[in-house]
Amino acid sequence: MLDYQLGLSWRSLKRNPVLSLLSIGGIGLGIAVSMIFVTAYYYLAGDPIPQKSDRLFLVQLDAWDPARPWDSDRPGEPPDQLTYMDAMALMKSDVPTYKTAMHKADLTVHPARQDLKPFRQLTRLCFADFFPMFDVPFRYGAGWSREADLGPEAVVVLAAETNQRLFGGEDSVGRSVRIEDRDFRVVGVLDAWRPLPKFYDTTNGPFDPAEGMFLPFHFGRVFEMYTAGNTSSWGSYDGGYAALLQSEAIWLQFWVQLDDDRQRESFEAWIAGYAAEQAKLGRFARPQNNKVRDVMTWLRVAEVAPEEARALMIIALLFLLVCSVNLIGILLGKFLARAPEIGVRRALGASRRQVFAQHLVECAVIGLCGAGLGLVLTPLGLALVDRLFDEQFDFRLDPILFGVALALALVSAFVAGVYPAWRVCRTQPALYLKTQ
Amino acid sequence: MLEMSNVAKVYRTEHVETHALSEFSLRVDEGEFVSVMGPSGSGKTTFLNLAGLLDAFDAGSYRLDGEDVSRLSDRQMSRIRNEKIGFIFQTFNLIPDLNVFDNVDVPLRYRGLRAAARREAIDEALGIVGLSARSKHLPAQLSGGQQQRVAIARALVGRPRLILADEPTGNLDSAMAHEILDLIEKINATGTTVVMVTHDPELANRTSRRIHLLDGRMIDLDHDRPEPLFQPGRSLGTAQA
Repeated sequence: MLDYQLGLSWRSLKRNPVLSLLSIGGIGLGIAVSMIFVTAYYYLAGDPIPQKSDRLFLVQLDAWDPARPWDSDRPGEPPDQLTYMDAMALMKSDVPTYKTAMHKADLTVHPARQDLKPFRQLTRLCFADFFPMFDVPFRYGAGWSREADLGPEAVVVLAAETNQRLFGGEDSVGRSVRIEDRDFRVVGVLDAWRPLPKFYDTTNGPFDPAEGMFLPFHFGRVFEMYTAGNTSSWGSYDGGYAALLQSEAIWLQFWVQLDDDRQRESFEAWIAGYAAEQAKLGRFARPQNNKVRDVMTWLRVAEVAPEEARALMIIALLFLLVCSVNLIGILLGKFLARAPEIGVRRALGASRRQVFAQHLVECAVIGLCGAGLGLVLTPLGLALVDRLFDEQFDFRLDPILFGVALALALVSAFVAGVYPAWRVCRTQPALYLKTQ
Repeated sequence: MLEMSNVAKVYRTEHVETHALSEFSLRVDEGEFVSVMGPSGSGKTTFLNLAGLLDAFDAGSYRLDGEDVSRLSDRQMSRIRNEKIGFIFQTFNLIPDLNVFDNVDVPLRYRGLRAAARREAIDEALGIVGLSARSKHLPAQLSGGQQQRVAIARALVGRPRLILADEPTGNLDSAMAHEILDLIEKINATGTTVVMVTHDPELANRTSRRIHLLDGRMIDLDHDRPEPLFQPGRSLGTAQA
């Protein structure tokens, strides 16, 4: 029966091409507009690492100024970064499955190729656990070992773009890259990887792309490299890099992977013990306020998704609703004009349910065609939005968004079609059989 | 086959009540060919609509093929229309953008038959009305008589036990009208009960029983019924296009 109803729907679309184009165009436009803003919101407010976002935790400790809170607007909120002393202390905990302190730095790369000039490259200095913890995809090689963290060994992981720039995209594992004043051995090259938002460092540009290189954390100390991100302090750290490491300045992000509630509770107890110990030593003068927050909780607390994105998405969905309501009128006229044919079909044995289903199938066909049109228009709109924001987002329709577009189109078409279909299936056949 | 007792049908508007049928009783036996005559507004079409389960009555009872149809659901009534009743209309009521084959296919689609079974039944029905060669034509490409023959094929294709014809020759010239009636007689001769509304006394005289309707009430003109045309074992055969 479905193939028959699909055939009738197709015939109906061909019978009134102008009305059909209006219907499909309306839904298509509504889908395109709504999907542009749904996509934007999806990327800005979505889960950047859905497979394990509930097992990854940002660690916050409140070692801030006893005289005033870190955020005067939200006095209960601890700082979003850690001091070097605290980060190194937390690195000693063996409770988490994975853990890493990290920061970004701006390092100079000296390419071996004569045709390339030295360039500055944003680099993430982190521990070996960074890669397995964040499921970072590798095209060649792998991350470095935990032993390499200790040396630290002069090893580097390149992002795909950096590998393209330095080695033309070849497998560069084992090759050498000169960074600052020494040579580093490439141990891994990433595949395309751009978590959006960049959840692991929202303090320093939540929508920035991932860094182009990754070095063992302790090279920061070797190079005496200050962070390229934010540093905040309530005390002075005059006296150079060594003083920074001993100061109360916060500039490091700290993430852990905790696989279950027991592990989380155990880690929370561990940092509570650490904070209490530090308080005895004269630090942590504020009431103890440690936070261990998973990815999505942290993104909400940090208010990463702009409110405007949410508002625009709601407006766009309302626009789709308007398109859908407009379609009700078109479909009502179209379906009721067909009442005499429906009278004949009812006389020949079609039940109300079959007539209703036939018209809903037609709505589904309109919805699918509208989805097709919308999916053609959406990437164009997204490219335009991306250009407006200097191409910093790279919004794309992934399979989930594709499914959302399809579902929205079908729902819109059904919403528009239910009343006209109900009206036409209530048609009294006897009224039309004599008057055709 | 069809038994109505004291059936009443009233059409109501805000200010007016029209009694289309009052205390209408009729029994039609299997294999009969009954004509229904009467002036305009006498209730002929109302009777046919009620008989064909296309409209609901307000009082009385109606048994079709032994089944009380007064309390059936829409789905059950649709099934009965599909399986037991064939309709032939004055204005043919073919679906204009379906070709002959697809028009005849409509009732079979709602019966859920497989493609091969449908094709066989449609070919047979088109053979009976002599339109096998026109199966790909659209209704607009056919004459009035041919369109009515398509409508008859559509009524026949599901092998109904009752054919309801509402002035089937009303839009045709005299020669064509007789040709169509010949065809309907042939169908009746195979055992299918036929109830035909007509204005034409000459056509009515060819039926086995004549009913006259006046102001929604029935007058049976034939106390002595002629022998029905139906003889067991008779087949329809096929005609040439």
